[in-house]
Amino acid sequence: MFNNFPSIIFKNVSKKFFLQEDKTFKEALPSLLLGKPWAKEFSALNDISFEIKCGETVGIVGNNGAGKSTILKLIAGVTVPTEGAIKVNGNVAPLIELGAGFHQELSGLENIYLNAAILGMHKKEIDLVIDKIIDFSGLAGFIHQPLKRYSSGMYTRLGFAVAVCVNAPILLIDEVLAVGDVGFQKKCLNHLKKIKQRKDKIIIFVSHSEQSVKNFCERVILINQGRLLDDGPAKIVFDKYHQLNSEKV
Amino acid sequence: MFKQLIKPFVSYKYLLFQLTTREIKARYKQSIIGYAWIIFNPLLQLLVYSFVFSVIFRFPTGGIPYSIFLFVGLLPWIYLQTSLSSSALVLVDNSNLLKKVYFPREILPYSIILAKSIDLALSLLLLAGFMLFYRIPFHPAIIFTVPLLLLQIILMCGISLLLSSANLFYRDIQYVTTLMLLMWMYLTPIVYPLSLIPGNLVWLYKLNPMVGIIEGYRSSVFNYPFDLGTILWSIISSLTIFILGFWFFKKSEKVFADIA
Repeated sequence: MFNNFPSIIFKNVSKKFFLQEDKTFKEALPSLLLGKPWAKEFSALNDISFEIKCGETVGIVGNNGAGKSTILKLIAGVTVPTEGAIKVNGNVAPLIELGAGFHQELSGLENIYLNAAILGMHKKEIDLVIDKIIDFSGLAGFIHQPLKRYSSGMYTRLGFAVAVCVNAPILLIDEVLAVGDVGFQKKCLNHLKKIKQRKDKIIIFVSHSEQSVKNFCERVILINQGRLLDDGPAKIVFDKYHQLNSEKV
Repeated sequence: MFKQLIKPFVSYKYLLFQLTTREIKARYKQSIIGYAWIIFNPLLQLLVYSFVFSVIFRFPTGGIPYSIFLFVGLLPWIYLQTSLSSSALVLVDNSNLLKKVYFPREILPYSIILAKSIDLALSLLLLAGFMLFYRIPFHPAIIFTVPLLLLQIILMCGISLLLSSANLFYRDIQYVTTLMLLMWMYLTPIVYPLSLIPGNLVWLYKLNPMVGIIEGYRSSVFNYPFDLGTILWSIISSLTIFILGFWFFKKSEKVFADIA
């Protein structure tokens, strides 16, 4: 049953974006007539190759705008590479950011079903884990309240609870843990560690908190200005990361 | 292509269901009369149009009470109008989602059309009530409204796919949509009968695919002979628009997350 093991392969992946500048018609028309490109190209990722195998927990670090989120988008399949090839084996559950996939007017419970459906689950599957999700979020007392009454921390709890309970083989966690309170953060990390010990999933972890990345991931990928600078054990990669940032100063 | 076409209804049917209920539930939250708006809105429009076009203008409707004549055309039109104007915005409104999770994106406009179908079903009860009140008999031909409605839905899906994706590139589309719907309504025999169109222009007028569909509804409900040629044109043009819309949507889908 080789196919049951999740895996991610990036092969010489490059991603270019078009920066669409605000132009008035008067400015846009001449450049169009003269055959100038209508938008500037921006290279977000450049020749990135790596392979992540089943059971690995990988941190992705880099400065703002380095291309971390673009990598997550490519893994999630919402965008396609300009060059190169990506092979993702297994369902991907991104931890949905605050707001996305939730509806303010619907209750917490309704939002759990909505969010889990967006992550690709069917009703019967959700029914099986709904108690677990509510329990994990710690929001049992508010679950019938509309979401607009929730605080931003409660939002995150709900989103996190859904994402970890949907049982997708690939989990993408992007900087969201920072929002919950200390108790909930601990709970999440403990839960993720449990998932990690089972060695049957891939967890991709993007964070600016060196402590939590080091705590959690053995392997770290360092991205800088769209290029892969280093890929290896957390400690060595972070040394390089610090060196990179001190050079700049 | 066929596999792609039915994917949202097979592998993603629960998501489609969830997005549709979200659309229905969320719409009338924090309003006093809530779902009653579904009935109230067409009823008010009916009153205004009836006053203007049966009291002031007095359109000839061949012995059928004007309000019934109007309702048979107006209800499917409201269905089209509300669906298209909402679905033009649906991808923009959900751009957060487009950037995060993969699912067949056409589910979003489809969910709008499904949600508005519930409105249509409820307002059809109102029409049935009116027909009973005016003692209009229910002919067996009324069954032909079903395939005509399906045809209208195919046309609406095609246009929604075009509008929603185009609006993601240029927001002008949502304003164009409002204008287009207004003009389109007056170029379709909804508030007036087709018989008022000058004979030498009828062929041009009938290029509008909604003409055959709306006239078809009237033929089925009032048991008139069907204008088969016009309906055939509606079938051909609606299918063409759907295929074009689907093709354009699937082509542009790859960059949705980059430009949203």
